[in-house]
Amino acid sequence: MDLHDLSIQQVHEYLSSRKVSSEELTRAYLARVQRLDPQIKSYVTVSEELALDQARDADQRIKMGEGLTPLTGIPYSAKDSISTRGIPTTCSSKILENYKPFYDSTAIKKLKSTNAVLLGKNNMDEFGMGSSTENSGFFTTRNPWNLDYVPGGSSGGSAAAVAAGLAPFSLGEDTGGSVRMPASFCGITGLKTTYGRVSRYGLIPLVSSFDTIGPMARSAYDVALVLETIAGHDPKDSTSRVEPVQRYSDTLNKTENLRGLRIGIPKEYFVEGLDLEVDAALRNAIKQIEALGAEAVEVSLPHTQYAIPVYYLILFAEASSNLAKYDGVRFGLSERNVESLMDVYLKTREIGFGAETKRRIMLGTFALSAGYYDAYYLKAQKVRTLIRQDFQKAFETCDALITPVAPTTAFRIGEKITNPLDMYLSDVHVVAVNLAGIPALSVPCGISNGLPIGMQIMGPHLSEETLLRIGHMYQNQTDWHMKHPPCWND
Amino acid sequence: MSAEIQVDEKLVKEIASLARLDLTQEETEMFVSQFKDILDYVSILNEVDTENVPPAYLSSANKNQPREDEIEASVPTAEFIANAPQSKDEYVVIPRVHIEQ
Repeated sequence: MDLHDLSIQQVHEYLSSRKVSSEELTRAYLARVQRLDPQIKSYVTVSEELALDQARDADQRIKMGEGLTPLTGIPYSAKDSISTRGIPTTCSSKILENYKPFYDSTAIKKLKSTNAVLLGKNNMDEFGMGSSTENSGFFTTRNPWNLDYVPGGSSGGSAAAVAAGLAPFSLGEDTGGSVRMPASFCGITGLKTTYGRVSRYGLIPLVSSFDTIGPMARSAYDVALVLETIAGHDPKDSTSRVEPVQRYSDTLNKTENLRGLRIGIPKEYFVEGLDLEVDAALRNAIKQIEALGAEAVEVSLPHTQYAIPVYYLILFAEASSNLAKYDGVRFGLSERNVESLMDVYLKTREIGFGAETKRRIMLGTFALSAGYYDAYYLKAQKVRTLIRQDFQKAFETCDALITPVAPTTAFRIGEKITNPLDMYLSDVHVVAVNLAGIPALSVPCGISNGLPIGMQIMGPHLSEETLLRIGHMYQNQTDWHMKHPPCWND
Repeated sequence: MSAEIQVDEKLVKEIASLARLDLTQEETEMFVSQFKDILDYVSILNEVDTENVPPAYLSSANKNQPREDEIEASVPTAEFIANAPQSKDEYVVIPRVHIEQ
């Protein structure tokens, strides 16, 4: 048994009984990152010295034996859009390559206060725009299950790191599937939280009305431990939810079955284009969930086919506004070999942004410009209302909905990068959740040709407890989440 | 939607100027063709009757929770300025904007 084999709960027992120190654990993870990450490329920054400092602080706290939480002394990584004081936070964009925030995001602050240990920051599609990490301004992350395949995106670095045993958990961020899709492609468990459940303070925004920080880990139980630490109202984020945070892990400890739960199976998510093996894996998983006592019924979300165009139109618009601040004046890249201030803007943005980012800024500027606003942006926001109503209606009779996370397993690096529309369509099962602001859990439920398949469990606002219960009970009965890629024992 | 819109180099250049992007000729041509595809695809929304449907804007019915407007310590200027591409004393430096006649 190696240290990276242990779940968060197991490591916590090792740490609190002093079988291992946080420093030893942190050194073991750092050594693994150094050995394996040159192939997988999941980290853009490894903050080794700081990690060891934090680990020694954690060991002090463990020695005192006071105020230990399940995350005290546990190493983790974070997507590079989540601000970390003094550590580069680049969103995998050249325009932020040298940017070091002078403050921590609230989620990082909460993990710091419990003495979790930050190992470093994970690669992503630039500013979160992409489904493969191929749009990273630096390099493409590899899927640990097969290095020729993408890890999914945009939190692909986080997913690959957790899947390869390069971090016990990672903080991801989900704007339109960016936690769930890579979790599915890499065979790990990832939670897209209810909009506002985790503070967005210090999260560099892509689409302010969609963005959510969420845990990515090896099991629903580990996800629960992270969520109860990072969730909660934050005066610094006026959109954060004030409802008290549940002790999700306590509920999981007490859960014995899924009796009394009604699960909807939206027929629009099981249509043409769905890979046969993905379909079969999902049908099997649903049977197992029924065997645990839940009742499965077919439901309809009639506006499903409009989710992608609505999602992208709103994304283009909000992203182009959010990215207007990268102008080479106050921070980040700045092209100064120019004559005028206008040229600073034009050249900095031309050099600093990648192709996909420019494409979306352009489309958003267009959709918001005079004469087109009503036809595109406003229309999309109206259809968004109808998509939200679909979910409200389904949740009148169901506690949760189960669908695939993606229509296929991971695709090959290079397969979709030349056709942006084709890449957008791979998000067909995940984006509606962000339009409605509801939570959804991605859980491994099969393997096809050596690549993982994921199941998506969606629920109404603030139903994280129910989703984690379903995921946890399913994982008690199955071992898909315990399967590891070939590099696991390297 | 897209039926009435003529996506050509002129339009792409106008948008690029609004977006403050100094696109290359190659990028301009690529965007012309990709814009057509993407705008064509999103025009599927025209099928949906949205008469009397209000826009959503926010992702939940949750009301914003503004904090009390209380004074607290702000970031030391030096820390903020440390990220500036060019600075002098406590000021961010940019190329001259006023041109002498």
